[in-house]
Amino acid sequence: MKFKSLILILLFILSLNVKAQEKYDISVDLKDLTFKEFVSRAEKLLPVRFFYRDEWVSGLKMGDYSNCTTLSCILDNLFKGTSLHYIIEESGNIVITDKYAVNVSVAPVEKENNFMPPSDYAGSEGSQHTEGTASVDIGNPGEKNKTGNVTISGYIRNKDTQEPVSGVTIFVQKLTVGTISNDYGFYTLTLPRGIHFLQFSFIGMREKKISVSLFGSGELNVEMKSVLIPLKEAVISAQKNVTLQRFEVGAEKINIASFKLLPTSMGESDIIKSVLLIPGVQSVGEGSAGFNVRGGSVDQNLILLYGAPIYNSSHFFGFFSAVNSDIIKDVTLYKGGIPGRYGGRISSVLDIGSKEGNRREFKGNIGVSPITAHVLLEGPIIKDTLTYILTARTTYSNWIFGLIKDPSLQKSKASFYDINGKITYDLDKNNKIDFSVYTSHDSFRFNSDTIYSYNNNIFSLNWRHYFNSRFFSSFSINNSSYNYNISSRYLATEAFVLSHKINSTGLKADFNWFLGRNEINFGLDLTRYAVNPGSYLPYSDSSLVKPHILDKERALETAIFIEDKFQLTDFLSLNIGLRMSSYFSFGPHSVMLYNPEYSKSKSTIIDTLYFKPGALTSKYAGPELRVSLNFRLSDKNSFKINYNRTRQYLHLLTNSTSISPTDTWKLCDYYLKPQIGDQIAAGFYEMLFKNSFEASAELYYKRISNMVDFKGGTHFIMDDNIEKDIVNVRGKAYGLELVLKKTEGKIRYSIGYTYSRTFVKSISNFSEEMINSGKWFPANFDKPNDLVVTLNYIFSRRFSFSANYIWSTGRPITYPVATYHMYDDLLVDYSDRNKYRIPDYSRLDISLNLKGNLRSHRTAHPDWTFSVYNLLGRQNVYSIYFKREGDLYNGYKLSVFGRAIPSVTLSFDF
Amino acid sequence: MKNSRKILPFLLLLLFFTSCITQFLPQTNEDKEIIVIEGLITNKPGPNTIKLSKSLPLGGASAAKPLGGCSVSVTDNLSDSYSFTETTEGTYVSDSANFQGVIGRIYTLHILTNTSDNATRFDSYPVEMKPVPAIDSLYYVKQNIKESAEGDPLQQGCTVYLNTHDPSNSTKFYRWEYTETWEFQIPFSVPNNICYVTAGSDVINIKNTSSLGEDRVESYPVKFISNTSDRLNMGYSILVNQFSLSEDEYSYWEKLQNLSEQVGGLYDIVPSSIPSNVYCIDNPDAKVLGYFSVSACSSKRIFIKEYFAGLVDLYTNCADAKAPIGPVIPNLGVTVWIIGSHGPMDPYWILTYDKGCADCTVRGSTTPPDFWPTGK
Repeated sequence: MKFKSLILILLFILSLNVKAQEKYDISVDLKDLTFKEFVSRAEKLLPVRFFYRDEWVSGLKMGDYSNCTTLSCILDNLFKGTSLHYIIEESGNIVITDKYAVNVSVAPVEKENNFMPPSDYAGSEGSQHTEGTASVDIGNPGEKNKTGNVTISGYIRNKDTQEPVSGVTIFVQKLTVGTISNDYGFYTLTLPRGIHFLQFSFIGMREKKISVSLFGSGELNVEMKSVLIPLKEAVISAQKNVTLQRFEVGAEKINIASFKLLPTSMGESDIIKSVLLIPGVQSVGEGSAGFNVRGGSVDQNLILLYGAPIYNSSHFFGFFSAVNSDIIKDVTLYKGGIPGRYGGRISSVLDIGSKEGNRREFKGNIGVSPITAHVLLEGPIIKDTLTYILTARTTYSNWIFGLIKDPSLQKSKASFYDINGKITYDLDKNNKIDFSVYTSHDSFRFNSDTIYSYNNNIFSLNWRHYFNSRFFSSFSINNSSYNYNISSRYLATEAFVLSHKINSTGLKADFNWFLGRNEINFGLDLTRYAVNPGSYLPYSDSSLVKPHILDKERALETAIFIEDKFQLTDFLSLNIGLRMSSYFSFGPHSVMLYNPEYSKSKSTIIDTLYFKPGALTSKYAGPELRVSLNFRLSDKNSFKINYNRTRQYLHLLTNSTSISPTDTWKLCDYYLKPQIGDQIAAGFYEMLFKNSFEASAELYYKRISNMVDFKGGTHFIMDDNIEKDIVNVRGKAYGLELVLKKTEGKIRYSIGYTYSRTFVKSISNFSEEMINSGKWFPANFDKPNDLVVTLNYIFSRRFSFSANYIWSTGRPITYPVATYHMYDDLLVDYSDRNKYRIPDYSRLDISLNLKGNLRSHRTAHPDWTFSVYNLLGRQNVYSIYFKREGDLYNGYKLSVFGRAIPSVTLSFDF
Repeated sequence: MKNSRKILPFLLLLLFFTSCITQFLPQTNEDKEIIVIEGLITNKPGPNTIKLSKSLPLGGASAAKPLGGCSVSVTDNLSDSYSFTETTEGTYVSDSANFQGVIGRIYTLHILTNTSDNATRFDSYPVEMKPVPAIDSLYYVKQNIKESAEGDPLQQGCTVYLNTHDPSNSTKFYRWEYTETWEFQIPFSVPNNICYVTAGSDVINIKNTSSLGEDRVESYPVKFISNTSDRLNMGYSILVNQFSLSEDEYSYWEKLQNLSEQVGGLYDIVPSSIPSNVYCIDNPDAKVLGYFSVSACSSKRIFIKEYFAGLVDLYTNCADAKAPIGPVIPNLGVTVWIIGSHGPMDPYWILTYDKGCADCTVRGSTTPPDFWPTGK
């Protein structure tokens, strides 16, 4: 039998109401018959028909089923220990499936007509809008003549893994009313009594439609099924209507399935690289660490993994993300409209949703690419209760060095690894605990004498408690640290170890309360910081290096927040949040006092203030207001406006164009004030052509105060009094982001164009502290024009093709403009900061994804990805640098990916 | 710390297969000439020199453009004023009978330019003359640049190192400047055959000992001499002057050094103009380059005369044309010079287009300097 027809039949039967299975009695001696013989006999005896594939049953022999009186009893026994499952449909069709069960049993009813509708399993294309329809009654039918609004709520879970699914759109097309499930998978929706047609949709999940006869308030829990072949869910399709629904201007959710299909460089799917495809997100250059959101600097992004901040988000200086994509469930980027529960960074929040272990069975995946190998293992320890997931990734890039002839470079080594683990435990229906661990390590040795290494470590313990179906809480405690070490043994007398460390411990309580038209979120956030700004120690006894340890920094950041999402009318909703944050830094600490008539320097110190251990050295506090208004103009379009204030109490000190792993984190102190960001943004969203296209335009203006820059040419590692090298700068940014997306069909694409500007201005009374004489100048990542086009073409369930094209204005650069002589030395003078630009950037990448044999009985499913990075071989400028050669300064243009780079990635599911 | 600069080549290494580097000259539109101050006052006897010049466009001519016609003077904290006289264009020299730096005094530089009828005044911030310890030792270590292998001969060079320390632990910030002198010989029988050439330091040599437990500089590499110059062929001498800097001046030189080797890469520090300690009184926004340094000075000189293997012969490409011209040497004019003759019976002359191959005074002087050891 053709597989396709099997599916069609499956579809057909799913639309019927399946009931009991005990209808067909059979009492014949079947012993030692082949399955086919059994089938022909059963079909003769009973009004049934079997549907299956021959190869699934070829080895099956019938046993002794004398104690069975029903067909289902026989099949249960027969299939025990195999991967086969079956379903008996009311009309007499018996469908056998391999690997997965078509579970259509009706869930037991809890209080008030709770209903668990059947899950759907269809796998064919194009049919997703007709399948999976079910019908439910909620409330007491006796109240059907009443009028007025009632509320339904419930949880949405992933059918396979039982994980809550957040971000599911629940939408009633006729009323153009909808909502989105929250982090707990919980949703609530207020509707008039009557019959409604609810659509549940989410990327990577089969869309579900449920017809609800609503007589009173009640619960509706829904299980959604991941698509069998995630391949075709490559594009953010279920986001339709979500954009209209969300309160936030500038929130983007990326599903793992979508970014895994993006073309890769060196075969690694990379979360930060896919974030860079979002309009409004830029970076200094390809392969540079971090990203810039709407004119914010790299340290102004809060990157959360397991609810804890990651202080360095990249391996290999930015060529790879520090977080393995295997662990990622989804990623939400808030470019604006940052909810009140997030704080501590001013430009954006990148919340990485992590996977939980499979609750039903053990699964794994192994993958190799030219640079890395990774493995994922997951499964239940106690079925449906206690699960684990573990991923690890490592590089074996050292082989590259072996190919290089230069003996000094052959001694160089570079490597990284990262490990993620999570254990989830459901104590009972209302209590759930998870514990997560993340560690990443990078090290490289350059020319064998200097060794660099850096590490991220995160621990996170999280307890979710459901008070009742409308009131949840989450309590978490986490610890995140980042440190680096540089050691050198080049000269025995000067051998040293230089290190820096930031450690933060966060405590968070978060409550969600659903109250009719209000959704209230409130809580408390405490973070304790301990920073070792730097220690410089002798490497060995023969070293003359004097141990030098900079004063440790200690601080506490506290915040309370409350936010209400409030549906004012059917077309107008308001989201108002307030976060009160405060910051305290503590001694022991010595603070230098400077003569205020001069720019701060060693020679203008006039006194020292000493703070005892525990004494308050600085204190900052302020409210952060977050407001959004959403006007639903019709069911096809909406208009949103939003204002955001954010405060940030730590700075990443960097004096290079791109951040580097050896940049140091600095807490606010006596001199260094918190960064404050204000953003106002407005957006217009429209669905076009029967919702198959989504168009949006967002406009923003942002101001940032108290950023830091440096007096020209300074290095500040191991600097006791960093304030003397710091220049206080202010930033402003504005931009327009236009997006057109086709979100349905075999060919899906999106076109995003951004026009944006970002400027910086130094503020000081002293000329030494002024950059470009105190005038506004473009920031390092100011790239006014930015075009991103992505395309996905799904040929079939086995093949898909994707491409992306990026074009942007070159970043600003400071050029040398003059040379001069001093003491027979030839020196160089520079233009104003960022006065010039490097050439425009343009790149086309393609990738072809090939699922190996889809036949289910294979034990391992290979998945090949062929990618070509920079297909056009354009020599984009990575950097332009200047070197003195004899009596001349020569400029050089470096392209790191100067030609097309093919790569192959192979992974196996097992 | 210069560590971050290492990252760029490292990345190159990683992307060995795909990266490419091409030469690039930026198009800039700046043609302003900026005043450059090279001023050094020491406690040594002899004249002190302040040199004034103008900056040059990038990629253009590399010869300095002196700034003449200025009046230059230095005042000290005892209200004495010493004026400098212009000897050659842009070079202003003190009267050595009248002025010598004194440790502990504070000096200020004053300049009045007279360019295009527009007199502009420049002043330096006051700078104190700090004492400096003596150089403990200056020595060189011979090193193999390339080992001999498969027909490639051994190549040797050397590095000149310096040791110093301050028992009072107060110097902390050091700068060194050197003057090299070497003897060289043209390998042809030409009249001016052996000459002595002198060159100044062309790199910034600074050291900060404040992170060390002791104010001690050990094995500081002052100068690396490669086999590709002719410094080591006949005899070589280097004079190193040691200065003690204020932290501000140290930071000036450090920034200059940070920005003078390689800039512009993603992990290089963002370059910028480095503010001078001299400023324009009439226009506070005007840029000034250079520095007015004041320091006591200690010196040491060493000689190197030893055999080094694999020295490169700079004169292999001298003979451009070998042509018999006849028994009489004609007057060849100014473009071609004779560097030899061949064959006593049927002579022809070996000619060169490079005057440097025929006359060592193009690069140096035939008179040995006073300090040059005689009889060797």
